[in-house]
Amino acid sequence: MKFGTMFTDILASFFKKNSTQLYPFEKNPTPERFRGNLYYDPAKCTGCCLCVKDCPSKAIELVTIDRAAKRFVLKYHMDRCVYCGQCALNCRFKCMGMSNKDWEHAALNKEEFLVYYGKEEDVREMLENISKPPAESEHK
Amino acid sequence: MSTEQKLQTAEQLLAPWNKETIRPEENRLDVVIQPEALHEAASALHEAKWGYLSAITGMDMGVEAGQLEALYHFCNGPAITSLRVRLPRAGAVVPTIADIIPPATFFEREIKEMFGIKVDGLAVTDHLFLPEDWPPDVYPQRVDFTIEQAKAMEVSHADQMPEPGRVGENTFVVPIGPQHPALKEPGHFSFTVDGEIVTAAKMRLGYAHRGIEKATESRSWVENLYLFERVCGICSHTHAMAFSMGVEQLAKVEVPARAQAIRELVAGLERVHSHLLWLGVTAHEAGFDTLFMYSWRDRETVMNLLEQITGNRVNYSANVLGGVKCEIGDEQSKAIKEGLTYLETRIRHYLEVVTTDAMFLNRTRGIGTITAPEAERFGLLGPTARASGVARDVRIEAPYGAYVRYPVSLVTETNGDLEARCVVRLKELLVSCFAMRSILDNMPEGPLTARMPRKIPAGETVARVEAPRGELFYYIKSNGGEIPVRVHVRTPSLCNWVSVLEKAVGRQLADVPMLIAGMDPCFSCNDRVVTVEDSRTSENWSWKRLREYGIEYYSR
Repeated sequence: MKFGTMFTDILASFFKKNSTQLYPFEKNPTPERFRGNLYYDPAKCTGCCLCVKDCPSKAIELVTIDRAAKRFVLKYHMDRCVYCGQCALNCRFKCMGMSNKDWEHAALNKEEFLVYYGKEEDVREMLENISKPPAESEHK
Repeated sequence: MSTEQKLQTAEQLLAPWNKETIRPEENRLDVVIQPEALHEAASALHEAKWGYLSAITGMDMGVEAGQLEALYHFCNGPAITSLRVRLPRAGAVVPTIADIIPPATFFEREIKEMFGIKVDGLAVTDHLFLPEDWPPDVYPQRVDFTIEQAKAMEVSHADQMPEPGRVGENTFVVPIGPQHPALKEPGHFSFTVDGEIVTAAKMRLGYAHRGIEKATESRSWVENLYLFERVCGICSHTHAMAFSMGVEQLAKVEVPARAQAIRELVAGLERVHSHLLWLGVTAHEAGFDTLFMYSWRDRETVMNLLEQITGNRVNYSANVLGGVKCEIGDEQSKAIKEGLTYLETRIRHYLEVVTTDAMFLNRTRGIGTITAPEAERFGLLGPTARASGVARDVRIEAPYGAYVRYPVSLVTETNGDLEARCVVRLKELLVSCFAMRSILDNMPEGPLTARMPRKIPAGETVARVEAPRGELFYYIKSNGGEIPVRVHVRTPSLCNWVSVLEKAVGRQLADVPMLIAGMDPCFSCNDRVVTVEDSRTSENWSWKRLREYGIEYYSR
């Protein structure tokens, strides 16, 4: 039976620097394998949709505008993503992965969590198609 | 005694009631019995000390088959004997076995509510985890219950809790929860106190019940892996591991040795993080906040390691059906070893603190003592059982995966009090660290994944792994499709609650938080329990009446 068994720990801590960080001014470097936001490269994609099929949280949708010309748009719902990395694992052409740089999530509204990946003109075309009623089925 | 001999013994014991013998797997024996014979058959196994009742799985065989099944799984080392009771869909009744095996109450109440299997002789009648005003004759886990039906269900979500108040001259009911600053997860406890001494304990869980088992029946095998990972936020890896092990057994896929080693490694790190978290919580409940803060600071080391290896801090998603995702290279191996060296010194230090600190010992030594026979009777699992000297550890009794190649040694204590539970957990960590080092030094070479089919062959299997809190039990059934037919999960916390309720009675109210913390409860993952031990009839006030009383009181 002793008293103050953790006293030495406390004393030692007086001579250590603070372990808290002044985030966002100071950021902890993320490890290399850190699973942040999904990134996608339409140039490598073949539109096989294996990534979409296995997504446990239905966070990704692939819109094919022209398969032969590699015109794909990936709709990524960041807020639904569970960062499991199954999509990246399924991809045989390594056209997607989880970034270890881009991981900060804060937004004032939910719309900001929906990200479109693809060539600029493809995204524009897709969004125009959505606004037209008959093309509604295409983005499903 | 070999597994085969054990199963033969079980078959002999059950011979008088045996209607049909099935051997679904090498280590399993299914004995079909009549519902009337259930009590006798269960007591035959129980009296012969053939293992322990691990879980009761309910199953709906479909509307056309018109049949329900209840499976009573008894585990004895790697051998599993299941008593299979076939029942009609309408008017299914089984006798209770809770009179001989007390923990069966929890499992019986689950099948009663979820499958509508009436349990004859069950002492308690109120709901476990369905809302109190859930309509009768609606059973959410039956196959004909659809999600649409659940959405349309008009239930108030309000529970009729026994209200706080004075019940006698010096007796009061102290309610704690469902939302309470001292509870990290939702749960309701009501302790009847006479002065400072607890005279009765009651609890109600189910506030975080989300129907995961039902949800699996509409998701693919791969999607389910991630769903199960989210059953528990602390032992996420063991849940995913248990599920993948089961699916791999069904698909007869051999997981590469390297993948198995990495699974054990991540499970080891998870145990370190879970037990250090627990140590902090317990210290905090005892008012020893220095220990709480330092143990959680050191826990960051292992969290960072997990993040470095897998990419995530909590739901690591290290598993994939057929293997693992993350490679352990030289860089990771070096980081883990460095982390382990630091952690080992810290764990030894904490071991010294919990066994010598006078103040802390006042709160732990001789408190909540559970003797070995009691632990056996309550069906306790994991470190809670091992602290009472019951050698119950799936990693040792029925080694799975890499535990065959990298065994861990059994840690038990004999005192059975809170101090013993601290000591068991900390010593277990040292054993885990040792095993992790031997994995890192002798990592087998080879691929990380084996090819898995998308459609899993028809069959049923049981996967048991040792989670930080105790044995985790998965029952998985496939009919050869892309989605499972039934997955049943029994988490260790479910079996350990009895230790709190039984031991709180007769102690000071101030010991209650420590007792709750002592079993390392995980509310969300087991959410399905109510145990009532209050035999006294008392007047219960409804929320409505309490509110009216409040208004009346203040308007006076």
